[in-house]
Amino acid sequence: MSSVKSLPLTSSDQEALQSAVIEVCENAYFVFVEPCDAPQFATLVDQVRAEKGRGPSGRWLNASVAFHGASRGQVDVVLPERLGTWLVVSLLGLPADATLKDNQLLDGVGEFANMVCGAWLSKANETASFTLDVPKVTRMPSGWAPGSTPQPDEEAYRTVVVNEMPLEVRAR
Amino acid sequence: MQTNSSETAGMTPLNVLIVDDSATMRALLYRVVGLADLPIGAIYQAPNGAEALKVLETHSIQAVFTDVNMPVMNGMELLREMAARDEWKDILRVIISTDGSRLRREEARELKVSLYVEKPFRPEVVRDVLCQIATVDVL
Repeated sequence: MSSVKSLPLTSSDQEALQSAVIEVCENAYFVFVEPCDAPQFATLVDQVRAEKGRGPSGRWLNASVAFHGASRGQVDVVLPERLGTWLVVSLLGLPADATLKDNQLLDGVGEFANMVCGAWLSKANETASFTLDVPKVTRMPSGWAPGSTPQPDEEAYRTVVVNEMPLEVRAR
Repeated sequence: MQTNSSETAGMTPLNVLIVDDSATMRALLYRVVGLADLPIGAIYQAPNGAEALKVLETHSIQAVFTDVNMPVMNGMELLREMAARDEWKDILRVIISTDGSRLRREEARELKVSLYVEKPFRPEVVRDVLCQIATVDVL
């Protein structure tokens, strides 16, 4: 959860990260989330990669939310642009084939990450209060894809399937 | 600012102010407010507390839905400003935030916040909140 080493994450905190994604998806987006292991995640990433060349659907978005308070750190949500579009359209109750403006997409994906981060912090620490920074959403370069392995400085990492598309969430 | 023209005979239309830095959340709340079975007058929107104060200074508002974490002026600062103004004492205050900590909830209670809705929320929760307003003597 934090770069402050005196507050290491426990295994239950890491489970809370997955629970946060599930809670946000099910309560706000009415979609079920399934955990997935590394091989399944890699297969789904390959499917996204295969969409490359058919518009922006093969691109990935990375939404980061930094937090401060009893501890500090950052939560990153990485998802295909197609999943991000689907989530925003779903949240706003728009027709399934609705086209989003770029700022709508980025703002909506940022809000998704904001909710995941907040839900996770609430589960990991019920008493402490945190301040969340404004989410930063980055469209990753063409051809980029998540590696499905945690980085050395990350203390929590989960991969899930949302609407048959891959999503990973990282915290440090 | 956008206006919803629905009006029910015999009830004063409710003017609502939605304060959130996310345009997505404002759009969601705007849609949800429209689902409430209440006469809604105008639905105003502001991206932070400072802009919300400008709306409060210039319009008659009966209910404020505010996020907590926002740039420029956050939701708690907005609520402190509102608490200091006697003419705004009857405005219903609702927090909608990812921060559901006990500390924040206690702080909200001290600032006369009637309801605290934690994100993620089901849309019907906010709709029900508005319907409760009809049973409370704020209209």
